[in-house]
Amino acid sequence: MLLTLDILTTAAILFIVSIGLLAIFGVLKIINFAHGAWLTVGAYCAVVTAKLGLNPWLALPLAFLVGAVLGGIAEHFIIRPLYRRPLDAILATWGLGIVVGQLVTLGLGRDVQLTPNLYAGTVAFLGVDYSAYRLVALGIALVIGTMFALAIERTRLGLSARAVIMNETLARSLGIDTGRVRLVVFMIGAGLAALAGVLLTPLTSVDPNMGVAWLIGAFMLVMVADASYLALAAACLVFGAAQVLISTFVSPILGSIAIAVLAALVLRISPKGFSRA
Amino acid sequence: MLETAPVARRAVPAPGRRPRLARTAPFVVAGLTALALWIAPLVLDTFAVNVLTRSMIYAVPAVTVDLLWGFAGILTFGQAAFFGVGAYAAAMILNAYGATPLGIAAALATAIAAPALLGLVVGWLSFYHRSTPLYASVISLVVPIVVVQLIYAGGEWTGSSSGLVGFDVLPFEIEGYFRLAALVLVAVTLAAWILVRSDAGRALVALRDNEARCAYLGLNPRRLQILLTAGLAAVAGFAGFLFANASGVVAPENAGFLFGTELVIWVALGGRGTLLGPVLGTIAIDYLAANLSGDLPFLWQLLLGTAFVAIIILLPGGLADLVGRLWRVLPFGRSGPSAPALAAREDGTEPTATDTSILKVQGLAKAYGSLTVLEAIDLEIRAGELVSLVGPNGAGKTTLMRCLSDGTEPFTGSIAVGGTAITGLTPNRIVGLGVGRKFQVASVFESLSVADCLRLARASHDGLNPTGRAATLGLPQAALDVLRMTGLDRRLPEPARLLSHGQKQALELAMVVALEPRLILLDEPTAGLTKAERTTIGRVLKDLTANGRIAAVLVEHDLDFVREISSRIVVLHQGRLVLDGTVEAVVGSELVRTIYSGGAHG
Amino acid sequence: MVKHLIIGTAALGLVASAAQGADGKPIVIGVPIGLSGANSVVAPSVVQSAELAVEEINAKGGVLGRKLALEVADDASGAAGAQKAFDSLIYQKKVDVLISMETSAARNAGLPAVTKGRVPYIYTSFYEGHSCNKNLFVDAWVPEQQVPPVVDAFKAKGAKTYFLIGSDYAFGRGMLGFAKSYVEKTGGKVLGEEYLPMDGSDWTAIISKLKEAKPDALITSTAGGAPNVTLTKQLRGAGVTLPFANLALDEGTAKSMGADAEGVYLSASYVTGIDGAENKAFLAAMKKKFGAELRTPNDLSVPEYEAIYLYKAAVEKAGGTETVKVLEALPTVSFTGPRGTIRMSKQHHAPLTMYLGQIQADGTVKVADTFKDVDPGEQCPKLQ
Repeated sequence: MLLTLDILTTAAILFIVSIGLLAIFGVLKIINFAHGAWLTVGAYCAVVTAKLGLNPWLALPLAFLVGAVLGGIAEHFIIRPLYRRPLDAILATWGLGIVVGQLVTLGLGRDVQLTPNLYAGTVAFLGVDYSAYRLVALGIALVIGTMFALAIERTRLGLSARAVIMNETLARSLGIDTGRVRLVVFMIGAGLAALAGVLLTPLTSVDPNMGVAWLIGAFMLVMVADASYLALAAACLVFGAAQVLISTFVSPILGSIAIAVLAALVLRISPKGFSRA
Repeated sequence: MLETAPVARRAVPAPGRRPRLARTAPFVVAGLTALALWIAPLVLDTFAVNVLTRSMIYAVPAVTVDLLWGFAGILTFGQAAFFGVGAYAAAMILNAYGATPLGIAAALATAIAAPALLGLVVGWLSFYHRSTPLYASVISLVVPIVVVQLIYAGGEWTGSSSGLVGFDVLPFEIEGYFRLAALVLVAVTLAAWILVRSDAGRALVALRDNEARCAYLGLNPRRLQILLTAGLAAVAGFAGFLFANASGVVAPENAGFLFGTELVIWVALGGRGTLLGPVLGTIAIDYLAANLSGDLPFLWQLLLGTAFVAIIILLPGGLADLVGRLWRVLPFGRSGPSAPALAAREDGTEPTATDTSILKVQGLAKAYGSLTVLEAIDLEIRAGELVSLVGPNGAGKTTLMRCLSDGTEPFTGSIAVGGTAITGLTPNRIVGLGVGRKFQVASVFESLSVADCLRLARASHDGLNPTGRAATLGLPQAALDVLRMTGLDRRLPEPARLLSHGQKQALELAMVVALEPRLILLDEPTAGLTKAERTTIGRVLKDLTANGRIAAVLVEHDLDFVREISSRIVVLHQGRLVLDGTVEAVVGSELVRTIYSGGAHG
Repeated sequence: MVKHLIIGTAALGLVASAAQGADGKPIVIGVPIGLSGANSVVAPSVVQSAELAVEEINAKGGVLGRKLALEVADDASGAAGAQKAFDSLIYQKKVDVLISMETSAARNAGLPAVTKGRVPYIYTSFYEGHSCNKNLFVDAWVPEQQVPPVVDAFKAKGAKTYFLIGSDYAFGRGMLGFAKSYVEKTGGKVLGEEYLPMDGSDWTAIISKLKEAKPDALITSTAGGAPNVTLTKQLRGAGVTLPFANLALDEGTAKSMGADAEGVYLSASYVTGIDGAENKAFLAAMKKKFGAELRTPNDLSVPEYEAIYLYKAAVEKAGGTETVKVLEALPTVSFTGPRGTIRMSKQHHAPLTMYLGQIQADGTVKVADTFKDVDPGEQCPKLQ
């Protein structure tokens, strides 16, 4: 039972962390290596919220807003000139991540910051005492996933985004302002990443480099998922399970590289990853 | 092609018959540099000697990153892992056996062999038919992470997070290490310089430019990429061996992903695709870091990060590009283009008797999901035939061409070239069976000169010189004819990207003909050409097939053109072969008229 | 001076110019330290205590009539940075001695330069032990000194079974490896020993294993900073309420962790609550010198302060800064500072008084027990 809950909640957290990256990769075909920086920025929004004495949950909208605004600026000045050079975009966003990390350090200090728990304690759930927050995170992942699905399937923006994903040239010739779609999607992606940063705070410390630890895992999951959020959910479940099972039964050290290694092998065998299914 | 940064394109000066001085210049410069660096420790203080020794060692993997990324278009973060493996192999062996002659030999051999082996594995993982450049970068990210994790888990063996220190090293003083590092760096840079300026070096750029074209010229892009990865892994490992000896310590970060990104940052700032840019960039930035970062810990990182982002966006060629532009403004900075002399070569293939079956297709079918694209195709083509494949858009013509030239396309039924089934064969192996394919959109190497494009077309027959440039370019008479008729023979030194649309088509045709294929597949060779160009190409094709050596299959919309040159016409309609006969029979048929007027169903 | 704007704390490495006395060249102390990177949280407090020691000594006339000067260099908490920092200090700044706390990787990376450059190096960070070099002295604790107080205390409370969790690096493995052997030697049983990579942030599976093993007590030894906080948070989130000792926890981190750290045991050679005249005077002087800028003194910064005094004593005994003579004098001199009387007399290491502390609800550390002059054991038998 404990194992099942571990797998489900691990998958949920992975999903929360990687959905913003997926949105950007799906539409812009660009790997946003500044993703870790957006996570960090979001987590610092939680720190600021706490310092102002506000309700910790208020950090969520704040982080989304800050992430989206910063994302918009980054899209305009850094991503836009590099649409035709996706490998360069990886490098530029990595550089952006360094810059954001150093700015956070200079502005708010290198120290490990502590934030109040969004939701503390444990609950008895089907016979085991389980971390209440992890269960909440599971719920949040479902909410984010559902909202993301609705946005993709039911809104005008979602329709435009899907058109851009399928065939950008065609989308443009149909009168879709693809530049604006890219901007908005990048802002949403960055906003979601910042949101994820807040949601991570009950689980981790907050420091200027916290995002990097999550970056590679999220990146590999998105590569496997290609541009599909359903495939991402599946990937999170499968690789989250692999991570938990390997950590539990073999070694946590192997478990921690399980996602990266298994995802690389999956891509080698089936280049389209999970999105084919 | 993903990466289109206009960088290394102009980095390489004009090929061909250069004066003796120009050919010996790199050696003279390298010799003088080595001499200057030999003397340098006498005037530099101990601090500078120490720091520069490490900087020069770091510059060696930076050169390998430049070869992979700047020339071959493979963005890699993995060179750090190979460097680290080399360093750890050396440190662990020296730790266990001491700096005895045997210990040193074992350390050196392992420091080169272990990364090379790892490089083979990484290369195999990264490069396979239809792998993407992005995937290779992904793997190069994973490798250092895994290697560092192994180092952490290595306990006493690897010293875990603390690294290894206190092992015996080569018996040099710090000046000795400085000189050793300098010699190695100069030698590696010179070797890289010679390689990229050689005919074989053009293959690296060709891989970056147009991997598919490489494969359809019979080169094996995967093998080239894997061998390049393994070879450069060995070089990085050797640098790691030097590092372990010179610094007397190895640590997990020497193998880490962050070091991998640092190498890329140094190369990017220095100027990818220029070799000297990355070398000087690495040394300058690392030396500056040693002097400044101690005083400005966070600001240094901030400045470096900002500079990196700015360079990537605004100056993808790095600082070397800036310097190069200034240089070319100067009158003596421009060298006139030159090219090899053309020579006719004996036709290598035995004349095959007319009527020999070259291509045999039986029951070919292909479907994308529930959509059937080709169905029950039976077709046999003999030497000397010029078969036109006609049919309306969507009839499956291009798909059929793709199946004929790429055995990894999922299809059912059988296709045999000269009696050999091609199912499962990659394009380069099918080229080996004697099939040349010309694409609908001219597929040439945009950054290379016309002469180099043709040289690569001959590479599968004649090989490529890895140390220099051949003075002559031997081509089969037919290819020479194409060049003469289209005037390309006068434009050999020009970059292919400057050619007109028609000239690119002609160049690609010449490249395919240069392969001396038995079967030549042409997808709309005349689309968008002028009347005169069309006539020329028609004449070339007729001449090619007239002597009965080769067969050609042509996808064409222009029925007048088809009528003029074909010996036989095959009509495809909705994935089926509906008509197969002589020009008169097909052109006159009711069915063809109905199909082209859009009246036929089923 | 750009530095002031950047680092915020004044006088990093700038004391040099002020300290130039009339009596000739100052004695320069090099402090290679992780101003950026993993150690950057604790580094400012270390620099502050070094500055206080230098100021105090200079105010009383310096050493053998010469003033002391500090040269601080950032090593980015890593090996590559440490190579640069050590080279810069030894060959460029030509320091007389190196005194600093470092990560083990940075210390190791610096050792070849220390040997080649022939300078003494006093290492002021607790570490996993067994680092031996004739130029290297250590005035902080090793596992042999830190672990027994914890295990003994748990044993006294009736704990028989233990679970060990750490970060996969030299310190984590060194501490827990010793803890395991000590637990087994004293009749206890280790039910599990689990490690996560240093940059790992997901302890889920390990915590579930811990819960299923149901031990009497938990001992952790993670990397400092982020992994420590992350593990503690996730343990608390999972409702783990076992007796819990954290071998990598310092007072400052404990304070900032708030309620999550309450009840956790730590073992240290220094806690601010030490009841002694030297400690009180030290704390008062620190407060006076740095005011609002003060970083709470801790088990990493106080040894730095004391090491500078130990070096002063050695130079005075040797009659100069000549390395060979200073190295001869170092194991014989002693200094009574905030942690009591320190003498690096045991194979280049120092017997220390250890304190078992427990974190209170307000984040302060209450000393639960004191262990006098704990021996560091056989660290470097080849160095007498």
